[in-house]
Amino acid sequence: MPKANHFTTIEQMEADSARLRETACEVCAETYEDRVKTQTPHCKFGEDGICCKNCSMGPCRITSKAPRGICGADAHAIAGRNYLRAIAAGTASHSDHAREILHVLRDTKPEGPYIVRDEKKLVRLAAEWGVATDGRDIYEIAHDVASVGLLEFGKPDGFQLFSRRAPKERQELWEREGIMPRAIDREIATAMHMTHMGNTADAESLVRQGLRTGLSNGWGGSMIGTEITDILFGTPTVWTTEGNLGVLEADQVNLVVHGHDPAFSEMVVTAAEDKELVNYARSKGIKGINVVGLCCTANEVAMRHGVRMAGNFLQQENVILTGACDLMCVDIQCIFPALPALAQCFHTKFVTSSPIARIPGAIHIEFHPETAYEQAKEIVKMAIDNYERRDASKVYIPESKQQATVGYPTEQIIKHLDTITNSHLDELGSYRPAIDAIKAGVLRGAVAIVGCNNPRVRPDYSHFEIMKELIENDVLIVATGCAAQMATKAGLLNKDAKYACGDGLRRVCELLDIPPILHMGACVDISRMMLLAAGIAEDWGVKLTEIPVVGCAPEWMSEKAVSIANYVVSTGLDVYLGIEPQVKGSSQMMELITEGTRKITGGGFIISTDPHVLVKNILDGLEVKRAALGI
Amino acid sequence: MKLLFNRVFDGAAEMYAKAESEVSAVIAELGESAPMKMPDTAYHLSCIYAYLGRKVTTLGELREALTEVKSKMTSNQRLKDAFSSGIGTAIAAEIIEAAKYARNAAPYEGTKYHGHFSDAEVRELGVPLVTRDIPGFVVIIGPAPSQEEAVELIKGYQSRGIFAFLIGGIIDQAIGGGVGLGFPVRVVPVGEDIWSVGHIISLVVRAAMIFGAVQPGDWEEFNEYSFHRIFAFVNAFAPVPDITVACGGGAIAMGFPVITDDENDIWVVPKSLIIQKNTKDFIETSLEARDIKIKVTNIDIPVAFSSAFEGEIIRRKEMRVDIDGATTDCFELVRMRDLADVEDHKIVVDGPDIDAVEVGGKMQLGTIVEVAGKNMQSDFEPVLERKFHAFLNCIEGVMHTGQRDMIRVRLSNTAYDAGFRVRHFGEVLYAKLKSDYDAVIDKVQITLVTDPAKLKALRAEANKSYDARDERLKNLTDESVEVFYNCIMCQSFSPSHVCVVTPERLGLCGAVSWLDAKATNELDPNGPCQLVTKKNVIDENLGAYEDINESVAKYSHGALTNVTLYSILQDPMTSCGCFECICGIEPLSNGVSIVNREHMGMTPLGMTFSEMASMTGGGVQTPGFMGHGKHFIASKKFLKAEGGIARIVWLPKDLKEQVRDKLNATAKDLYGIDGFADMIADESVVEEDPEALLAFLTEKGHPVLSMEPLM
Repeated sequence: MPKANHFTTIEQMEADSARLRETACEVCAETYEDRVKTQTPHCKFGEDGICCKNCSMGPCRITSKAPRGICGADAHAIAGRNYLRAIAAGTASHSDHAREILHVLRDTKPEGPYIVRDEKKLVRLAAEWGVATDGRDIYEIAHDVASVGLLEFGKPDGFQLFSRRAPKERQELWEREGIMPRAIDREIATAMHMTHMGNTADAESLVRQGLRTGLSNGWGGSMIGTEITDILFGTPTVWTTEGNLGVLEADQVNLVVHGHDPAFSEMVVTAAEDKELVNYARSKGIKGINVVGLCCTANEVAMRHGVRMAGNFLQQENVILTGACDLMCVDIQCIFPALPALAQCFHTKFVTSSPIARIPGAIHIEFHPETAYEQAKEIVKMAIDNYERRDASKVYIPESKQQATVGYPTEQIIKHLDTITNSHLDELGSYRPAIDAIKAGVLRGAVAIVGCNNPRVRPDYSHFEIMKELIENDVLIVATGCAAQMATKAGLLNKDAKYACGDGLRRVCELLDIPPILHMGACVDISRMMLLAAGIAEDWGVKLTEIPVVGCAPEWMSEKAVSIANYVVSTGLDVYLGIEPQVKGSSQMMELITEGTRKITGGGFIISTDPHVLVKNILDGLEVKRAALGI
Repeated sequence: MKLLFNRVFDGAAEMYAKAESEVSAVIAELGESAPMKMPDTAYHLSCIYAYLGRKVTTLGELREALTEVKSKMTSNQRLKDAFSSGIGTAIAAEIIEAAKYARNAAPYEGTKYHGHFSDAEVRELGVPLVTRDIPGFVVIIGPAPSQEEAVELIKGYQSRGIFAFLIGGIIDQAIGGGVGLGFPVRVVPVGEDIWSVGHIISLVVRAAMIFGAVQPGDWEEFNEYSFHRIFAFVNAFAPVPDITVACGGGAIAMGFPVITDDENDIWVVPKSLIIQKNTKDFIETSLEARDIKIKVTNIDIPVAFSSAFEGEIIRRKEMRVDIDGATTDCFELVRMRDLADVEDHKIVVDGPDIDAVEVGGKMQLGTIVEVAGKNMQSDFEPVLERKFHAFLNCIEGVMHTGQRDMIRVRLSNTAYDAGFRVRHFGEVLYAKLKSDYDAVIDKVQITLVTDPAKLKALRAEANKSYDARDERLKNLTDESVEVFYNCIMCQSFSPSHVCVVTPERLGLCGAVSWLDAKATNELDPNGPCQLVTKKNVIDENLGAYEDINESVAKYSHGALTNVTLYSILQDPMTSCGCFECICGIEPLSNGVSIVNREHMGMTPLGMTFSEMASMTGGGVQTPGFMGHGKHFIASKKFLKAEGGIARIVWLPKDLKEQVRDKLNATAKDLYGIDGFADMIADESVVEEDPEALLAFLTEKGHPVLSMEPLM
């Protein structure tokens, strides 16, 4: 029985990257590491959030000698405005992604290409949203649900429908504090409006709007995105797959899907299995078509099809540097504009598919739902045809890869928990078994680890260190996005990772037959985590702020992450950040995001760039919550 | 509410304090150098040996072990510490009990308590655990709320075949309620105090060492083994004090859930610590918590049917009727028939029923079972027939021994009073054959003849069948068959052991002959017995085949690469641990001694069965030692590579009597020697002195003396 942990260490990952950088040197390509050097030191005013260029009187920068901008805005107003704009941008990204998916739902037809895969979830959502279901055709229901969903973005009155999913206590608090989210577009517009020259200069007001804008994402756009994606492509289930660069195959066509929106990549995955195309590849003497994922698109297709994952955010250039990527097809978000130029150093075809993410130098094949399958086939064929252009002298595929068990949305978590109930005593469909394990001390709590990786710190290192220490201390981890991908690469999603856990978490893993870190999906799926936390609090009969469950983003970098952090805090959970938000230039803002929000929502940020300090803070924080509950 | 882990830590401290005072007291009495030994075990103080890797032989060493136990009782708020403290509590419990054995080798003699389990008892559990005849173990601690509930609970477990260990007040409740107690009926009153759990944990860790080859000192592996392979659980009645909670911590660490009706200060942990207020639901709740599924065969009889009654003894005074094949014409016979000739579930009683016999009187019975099925083969007749013993013994109030026309069946008054009659034997055989052998049997009809007038002729006819079968078996040699079978039934708890079963070498447990393996394979082609071809001979004399090596390598998952069929020295076949006999080389005479599990005494090797057995087992090859079945002793293939049965120099007397005739026949065939059995020593002439053994062999002219040296 293998007891030892064969984790892929950060050093090994770095060695792989270093080897690929040699290739980069040979082909005269640059990577993000080169650009980190040219961008360092970063602009201090930008870092501290106290540069305002919201009007053309500026830019204005705050120093001790110049404490106000030309209009009179101080550091707090400027940092607060910049911060709120980041939240608005992040909310816009997740939510616009959701809107795209709703359009796909509205275009579903029984004959495809897009169909309804999870009818039960659709009917449940229809009931929740007041769409009639009795005796109706499933596609009629789908189209009506899509219409209701689309209204969530621009309806003139009322609040986000999904806010009703939150515990009563939260809903009342959100209303009381004036942060109950209205239409998503409205919150984004309000945020943009408030930060326009000559509007809000009060930091707390800006932070409050940040909370509300964040909520319109977490309990609005993101949750819609997740729900509708499940309805369209199926609610994820448990799959065993593999991750890291070793999933690229030397003797197969490597087609990499990258980005966040699975609408197109779902079609690419299906097209790659099309007999006609498989035979076409074989006719050229190629063994097969290997579709792998990058970034959150990888998370989406991994947990619905078991598609293997090449890596997270900072791995995107490495994939091309292997020289074995025949085609990379991207959709939206977190795509380096550097990629087309890098691809040109190799035979790699680089295809953009969304008008949201147009990049110079890319082949643009704009994805339309009605022709998606034909377009996907065209792309797969392009990849096959490109295989023979591969330059063997440039190919180096690192061997590193790890087995990973992925796909634990709340439905799967409940299903697993059901297996450890006792039919003579317990009810099914509850978080009760997990709560009991936490109460007894077997688990000390749960941490949602999310977010990107970031060269501001040693990439992936903070994730790894925090994850290892938490599982050693019997803290169950749920992960999404690039954090989940990091866990995949390291081997922490392998069920054998239980041997790196404390006895409590290990026993839980054994009883439930799960890895110690549960992969819950892409970054948009952090909405699933909110439902998980809310479900635990409700089944426990305590407030969300009381449960020993927190969020952690060790290496976050995107504006989406700022938005997410705000809805997590609004939901009542503390968020531990390993990268400082760009508001350091304002003492008021620093106070507001750490302690200020705590007075409003019960949650706040705890920040440390040292992962060991951060993880200690997390463990202490969980114990404080435990003690308050008398457990 | 007091935190769960704190309850464990406090309970552990309590157990430790008790152990410390017991050890101090016994050392004050007997001194540090006084020997410390548990009886009939080769595993020292097993819990200490297993978890700490220490062999305790003196009281001084016992004290040292106790000091180490203290270091294991850490108390951070983590499950690791609760587990470690819990195991420490179990070890401390063993130490408290050991102090009693330091003063007296049989401290429980004459009491109602069982105390320490011998290695033989542990090994005896091997086969029934594998076959799931014992689907699990329960440790019941407490007094139950009432005697009725205690009795109902114990009987409930018994009827499901669950082995019950009782601790504390439940023992008197069981006795008061008239529950039969003892190892054979699988209800053992272990001890009065909570520290008698030490004996149970000792049994568990010895199972891990014996069957799983878990290495002493490998703390984690012991827990892993018990968690995955020993289906035990605990029922603890309220009130459950800290010291019991601490023991529970140890139990849960080992994978054994604790089910209690106590609600005070008990924290529920899924599948581990469960509150069931309704004690009537204890059994079902517990079985589900430990994932034990009981195969239920519904049989239309007025008494209970369970493997728990297999060891039940019916004494003369409790006996309603005695079916005695030794002095009258009785027999059991299975015949294969055509499908058209068998009427399913037809049960005929031909002759007077039990009512016609006076209480305690004798009667005769001939059981003819006719089976038909598309996949039935006449070779399976004896396989099925041999099962009658186990089937009929599982009836509450029935004791069955023997087979063919040498049977004895006793029925208790209680069973008779409950309405048990002759036709019910038929119901049991029908139900069991149909459920256990449904892959080969489609129809079964049974005739139960009790009319003495008819039995004489029928018995003679049956004997013709037996003779024909024996003739067939005689021709069934390793050379005459096309394939052998492997058997990995034991892998559920001895994960790297593989038996290779041939016509002339039955499985070491004695329960799987080549025909059994064949039938098992036919019943379930993907099951535990797989074909082993014998196409590529490496060395015929050794019984070495490439096919066998490939098979053992595959089925032992690479743990074994080479196995021979006929040698004890070169790549001998491994053992799971539940062998009937063990054979070891006796260097002075160049022969081998064989000892069976039942024999408690010393052997000329200077080792007891337990000690020899501890050298092998767990799928490990130990040249010079080999576990095997009783029937293998008289096989022409026994130690063929080393010269055959002429190597046997010593056998326990009982065992020798069991195999005498066949042994003599084989010796006559192989070497032309008459009366070979008498040339073999037993404990009546030599107990352990090799010199005396050699003298005996010389006197008898034992053939081993003229054989080549073994090594």
